[in-house]
Amino acid sequence: MILKYSIQRLLMIIPVSLAISVVIFLIVHLLPGDPIDNLIRVGSSPEDRIALTAKYGLDQSLFEQYFLWISQIMTGDFGQAIVLRRPVADLIAQNLPYSLQLGGLAFLFSSIVGLILGIVAWASQKTWGEQFVKGFILLGSTVPGFWLALLMILFFAVNLGWFPVSGARDWTALVLPVLTIGFGGIALVARVTRVALLEVGREDFITLLHAKGLSRPTILFRHLIPHALLPVVTILALRIGWILGGAVTVEFVFGRPGLGSLLIRALGQRDYPVVQGSLLMLALAVMIGTLIGDIAQAAMDPRIREATK
Amino acid sequence: MRNLTKLNLLSRSAMLSVGIIAMGFSSMAMAGEATVALPASELGATSYDPIRSSNLNAATSLIYDRLVEQDADQSFHPHLAVSWEESADGLSWTFKLRDGVKFHDGEVFNAETIASWIPDFKDTENAFLVAAIEKVEVVDPLTVRFVMSRPEPNLLYNLASTFMGIPGQKSYDSLGEDYGVSTAVGTGPFKLTKFEIGLETVVTRNDDYAWPSALSTNQGAAHLETVTFREIPDQSTAFLELKTGGIDVLMGVPTDFLPILKAEENVGVITMAGTGISYMPINTTSAPFDDIKVRQATALAINQKAILESVYKGVGSQANHFLIDTLPAGDVNPKLLVSFDAAKSKALLDEAGWAMGDDGVRMKDGAPLQVKLFTKNDSDLKRLTQVVQAQLKDVGIDAVITVFDSSTIRDEYKKNNHQLAVRSYDWNNSDILEWFFSGTRLGYPNVSMWTDEKSEMLKDAAMTKSSTSAERIANFKAYHEHLLSQHLFAPLYQPAQNIAFNKDTVTVPDAIRGPRFRSQTFVDIDVVK
Repeated sequence: MILKYSIQRLLMIIPVSLAISVVIFLIVHLLPGDPIDNLIRVGSSPEDRIALTAKYGLDQSLFEQYFLWISQIMTGDFGQAIVLRRPVADLIAQNLPYSLQLGGLAFLFSSIVGLILGIVAWASQKTWGEQFVKGFILLGSTVPGFWLALLMILFFAVNLGWFPVSGARDWTALVLPVLTIGFGGIALVARVTRVALLEVGREDFITLLHAKGLSRPTILFRHLIPHALLPVVTILALRIGWILGGAVTVEFVFGRPGLGSLLIRALGQRDYPVVQGSLLMLALAVMIGTLIGDIAQAAMDPRIREATK
Repeated sequence: MRNLTKLNLLSRSAMLSVGIIAMGFSSMAMAGEATVALPASELGATSYDPIRSSNLNAATSLIYDRLVEQDADQSFHPHLAVSWEESADGLSWTFKLRDGVKFHDGEVFNAETIASWIPDFKDTENAFLVAAIEKVEVVDPLTVRFVMSRPEPNLLYNLASTFMGIPGQKSYDSLGEDYGVSTAVGTGPFKLTKFEIGLETVVTRNDDYAWPSALSTNQGAAHLETVTFREIPDQSTAFLELKTGGIDVLMGVPTDFLPILKAEENVGVITMAGTGISYMPINTTSAPFDDIKVRQATALAINQKAILESVYKGVGSQANHFLIDTLPAGDVNPKLLVSFDAAKSKALLDEAGWAMGDDGVRMKDGAPLQVKLFTKNDSDLKRLTQVVQAQLKDVGIDAVITVFDSSTIRDEYKKNNHQLAVRSYDWNNSDILEWFFSGTRLGYPNVSMWTDEKSEMLKDAAMTKSSTSAERIANFKAYHEHLLSQHLFAPLYQPAQNIAFNKDTVTVPDAIRGPRFRSQTFVDIDVVK
C-alpha cells in the first residue's frame, strides 16, 4: 500500500519538475541584466561582446534557449557556467557538501532540541518552564540570523576563543554556524510541537485515557506524541529543501561556501546556467522533502493512505 | 541581494561595537606561514587559468610571472623579459628573455614558450590582450619577436597584466579546460598546492625561485613557506579574523574601517594609491542635461574636497578629472579641471533659465529641476550618493536617489532611463576613456550617452593610431581634454587601497611597489622572528 502510494507520488515529480523548470527559466531570463556585462573587460571591443553573446547562445529566442537547456538537463548535463567558467554540475558538486554538512547538522540539531523544548513547554504548562520556552520561541523567530551570527562570533570566537571566527577547515568551524541556524529552527519546531500537543491534548480520546487512569508519561509517549507528530513531520519535511539553500546569510558571515552562496553570486552576475541549475536542485530537494513528509504521514496515518485509494 | 546589503550595513554596525570587547591579539601565525584575506573585489575566482579566466585574484600573481612588471607610478620594469626594443614604426617588438627560468614542473622557460603561449589566447575572452600581435618569431632560444598587425604602444601594459601570467605549456596543453582548477603551473615564487573554490587557496614556496623582478627587495626565494588566501565575504568577519589571529594580512580594507584598525596597537596599516576613481556620469541625451550649461553647473556643484574630508576622512585623494593621478594623460590643461565653484554653478543655472524657487529647488517653465540619481546597492557608494545629493541641493538641483543591484542598473543605463549616477571604476590605464565615452558603447559602459565626431576621431587616434608610447599619451590627453570640455561627468574621489596586517606575526615592506598588492610584495613579506 505504502509502496504504491510512494510510486504514485514519485512519478508526480516529473511533470512538476518540468513545470518548475519553465518558471525558473522565465524568471531568470526576464530579470533585468546580462551575464555578458560581467564577462567583458576594459579593452575588449563591441564586436567581442556580440561574439560572446552568440557563443553562449544568448542571441537565440527564449524558446530555443529553453529547449536547449532542458534537453541538456534530460541527459544529465547542467551546462557550462558563463561567468564562473566551470561546468554547472562541478560548481554544484563542490558546494553541495558544505550545504549538506551545515544544513544537515542544523536540521538535526534544531529538530531534536525543538521537539524536546516543545514537549517541555507542553509538559510545564502555566509554569516558568513554559514561559521560558515561549520566550525562546519568540526570540528565535525574530532575531535575524546574520545578527545572531555576529554575536556568536564576538562571544564564542573573539571573547572566549573557543571556535574559529570563520572558514570551513574542520568540525570546530561548524559549531557556530550550526548553532546560529539551529536557533531559528529550534524555535519553529518547538512552536509547532507545543501547539500540536496542546491541540491533541484537548481531544476526547486523551480525556478518556486520563479517565481510565493511564499515567501521564504513558499518555504522552504512547498516544499524544504519535498523534501530534503529524504536523511536526510536515514542517520538518519542508525544511529538507531549506537545508540546501537556506543558509545564505550565515554562509556569508562565516565565510563558508555553499549552494545558497553560489546561487546569490550567480544571480548577481546573471550567470543563467548556474542560477537555473541551482534553483532546479533546490526545487527538487523541496519536492523530495515533501514526498518524504507525505510518505511518512501516510505511514503514520492510515486515513491518508485510504484517501489516496 | 537586498538582504546581503542590509546584512553588510548591520554587520558594519556590529563591527563598530567590537570596541567594547577588550582583548589582545593572539600570535597564531605558524613559522613561515601567513594567511591572507582577499579583498571583496577578488572573491569568487573559479580557476587559476590566466588565459581563459575573466576573474583572477592576488594568488595568481604568486603562481605566474609576467614578461614585464608595472610599478605604482605606472612605469614598466623587466621580469621574465630582461629587456625589450620597439621598432621605430611600432610594428615589431623584440624581447630578450631571462635565462635559467624553470616552471614548477621542471619545464624550461624560453622563446618557444612565448611562441606557444600567445596563440593560446585565440577565441578566448582575453584575446583582445594580444589582438595586435600578428605572429611570434623565435629569434634564438632567449630572444622572441612580436610582429604586430598595427602599432600597439599599450603592449607593455597588457603584458604586465595578471591575465598575461605565463603558464607551463606542457601542463596547459595536456589539461585543456581543466587547467587551473586543481593544477596551475607557472614560474612564480609560489606553487599552487590546494584550491577550494569559494573557500581558500594554498600556495607553497618555490625553493628554486631566483628571478624576482627588481621591484622586490628580496632577490631570492620568498621568505614565507606557505601562503593561504582565504575568501571571507563579510568585512566585519575578516576584521575579527585579523583581531583573533585567524589571518595575518587583510587586503582591501574599507576606508571607514581604518580608524578602528589604527586604534589597535598590533595592527599595521598600509595605504597606497588607488587605481580608479568615483565619478558621476551625466546623461547628455536627457533634458535638462542636453544643455551643456546645466551639465557644467552640475559638475561644478560637487565639492571634491568636502567629499574627501567628510566621507573618507582624508584617506585617498581628490578627483578633478577622469583618470588616476599617476597616468600622464591626466596632466591636462588646468583650466579644464573640474573643481567646486558654487557661485559659477548657480550663475550657469541662472543663464540656462533655471531660476531659484522658494523651496530651494530651481524652476523653469513651471517645472522643478528634479532629476534622477542612480546608484548601486553598495554601502560606500550609497553614502557617497547621499553627499552628492546634498551638494546638488545646495545649488537648487533636487536629485532623487534610486538604488539598484549591479546588473539591473546596467540594464537601466542601456534603456536610457537614467540622468545622473554615482559609480566608480578600477583601471589604471588611459583607455578607460574609450570604455566609458566611446560612441560605440552608448548606454553601458558609455553612461554619459556621449558621442560626437571630434570625440570619435580623437578616440581612434588614441586607441589605434598611436605608434609610440609618447604619441599615445599625447593622443589620450587630447581626447581627455575634449571630453572634459563637454562636461560629461563630475569627478568625485580617488579611493586609496588599504592593507592591514598583524604586526605580531608578519612584517610587510613599508613601500609597496606595483599598482596593487601582488607577488613583488609577497616575496618580501616575512614572519616575525
